[in-house]
Amino acid sequence: MFKFAPYVLKGLWRHRSRTILTVSGSAVALFVFCFVGAVQRGLARLSEDQQALRTLIVFQENRFCPASSKLPEDYVRTVEKVPGVKDVVPIKVFTNNCRASLDVIVFHGMPPAKLRSSRELTLLSGGWGDFDSRSDAAIVGQAVANRRRLKVGERFTIGEVTVSVVGIFRSSVTAEDNYIYTHLDFLQRARGKSSVGTVTQLEVHLNEGADPDRLAADIDGQFRSGPVATSTRSKGVFQRDTLSDLAELIGFAHWLGYACVGLVLALVATTTVMAVQDRIKEHAVLQTLGLRPGRIFRLVLAESVLQSVAGGLLGIGAGLAMLSWGGFAVGAEGVTIAFKPSMDLALSGAVVSVVVGILAGIAPGWQAARTEIVLALRQA
Amino acid sequence: MALVEIRELTKQFRKGDEVITPLQGVDLEIERGDFVSLMGASGSGKSTLLNAIAGIDRPTSGEIHVNGVEITKLSRGQLADWRAANIGYIFQMHNLIPVLTAYENIELPLLLLPMSAAERHKRVEIALDAVTLRDRANHYPRQLSGGQEQRVGIARAIVANPTIIVGDEPTGDLDAVTTEQILDLVQRLNSELGMTLLIVTHDPRVAALAQRQLRLEQGKLIEKGREVAVVGVDIRERSA
Repeated sequence: MFKFAPYVLKGLWRHRSRTILTVSGSAVALFVFCFVGAVQRGLARLSEDQQALRTLIVFQENRFCPASSKLPEDYVRTVEKVPGVKDVVPIKVFTNNCRASLDVIVFHGMPPAKLRSSRELTLLSGGWGDFDSRSDAAIVGQAVANRRRLKVGERFTIGEVTVSVVGIFRSSVTAEDNYIYTHLDFLQRARGKSSVGTVTQLEVHLNEGADPDRLAADIDGQFRSGPVATSTRSKGVFQRDTLSDLAELIGFAHWLGYACVGLVLALVATTTVMAVQDRIKEHAVLQTLGLRPGRIFRLVLAESVLQSVAGGLLGIGAGLAMLSWGGFAVGAEGVTIAFKPSMDLALSGAVVSVVVGILAGIAPGWQAARTEIVLALRQA
Repeated sequence: MALVEIRELTKQFRKGDEVITPLQGVDLEIERGDFVSLMGASGSGKSTLLNAIAGIDRPTSGEIHVNGVEITKLSRGQLADWRAANIGYIFQMHNLIPVLTAYENIELPLLLLPMSAAERHKRVEIALDAVTLRDRANHYPRQLSGGQEQRVGIARAIVANPTIIVGDEPTGDLDAVTTEQILDLVQRLNSELGMTLLIVTHDPRVAALAQRQLRLEQGKLIEKGREVAVVGVDIRERSA
């Protein structure tokens, strides 16, 4: 088969305008396919992560935006006593935008010791010492730092909150690369006197074997008659509920991914059909020289797959590079979905390119292989 | 046994309401080393006969044996393999692959045969020398004159050392001077290399070079004025 590689490659090069347009179209479609895939995988990570299923979020009942949930901080002590609870982390959340946004900034104020025990963060620059010693210190997720071009030693202000960047981190949980962590009491004071002594939510870590649903009911039962009633859900459910509007949109967007696949299929198939119809006589000559119909079919298929895969690889490469360098995320009500490149995404894009290339080449390949030699040779 | 043996060959095809029978009950034998020309009016069936012998068209009935192989019984794929090993086809319009150089065009038939790259290279060089086009090896068809293109086409036809070389009006698209050059080349293929040739032509000068001159005329296959076979009494008969 490779003996005929020059024929296939030179054929594509001969019609380079057509080839480049087809490859470009395929690249754009696969680029969008990758982006849609990254968003969907980001949402899936949030709601299906095992850690998210083994962690509860206690939020004020009937509240949705972090700005409106105010739980007394001393609820921590009550929750810690519930059997099955391993640890409770009080978190103050501040976000610059409660609505859906592509540049949402989310502050999480946490006690420094709890931050280190409950999060798997790797500092890429800066140090924990500065974070512990400075009350206005903030460590910034790498995605936010990239997006906002923040560096260690800089101060920046969002809304009424001004912090000093003392570290840039990478988290084991992709979505957290879009968070900024500060001291709990700092964020409480920054949000005004009424916020002192209150937190937005409690993050409850469970012991092995504890039943999350039963514990959630127990916790809400403890505060039903208290000053502030609570609504407790697993972290995955909490995130999914918070992002339900976005999730619907993202769910709809997967059709966009399918549409891209269809677009590539139509584009490559059209180009290949045109190429075959242009060369009916040429294929007849090749058959006269002794090429079997099956080999003609494979040559056409090779052209189709090459164009689809070349465009696919370009699109996947560009998509993954942009996802990697852009640090994109969409967030709402303090919860973010990170668009992260992955090998899984690249592989699925590559498989789609190959399959589409094969499908697009079948009909024109069959047409070329079934060419009636004598009739085709009579063509001018 | 003759190299080519044709028995009771009939070809019919339908054109609208008409059934056309360009060949009917043709018998023909061609010996190894023969140079045979086939003349006749347009539509007399000479190209149909040539294409049937070359294995690119299937007869309606009858037998064609080439070098002991009954080719009408071969499948489409088997027939392709057989053509690769046994047929060198010279087209009227050259029909070179435009994206390949002269060298690559000549090499094409060899890619289908079990042969090392070194052996292929050697054979292509010999074929290029035979048609005196070594200095044009890396030229594309669009960079060649009509005569040079046809010489590349001839080199492509002979490079695999086929059992028989067939030509369908090989000089039909060339000027007088170039025709002379091509005819000289074709004649040398037969006289110096001993190749078996079957050439369809309208040109009496081409036919005159052949040892055997056949003519399809008014339904009869005539050799040098002698009728050798009935080709079809009713060339066109209306279907019932």
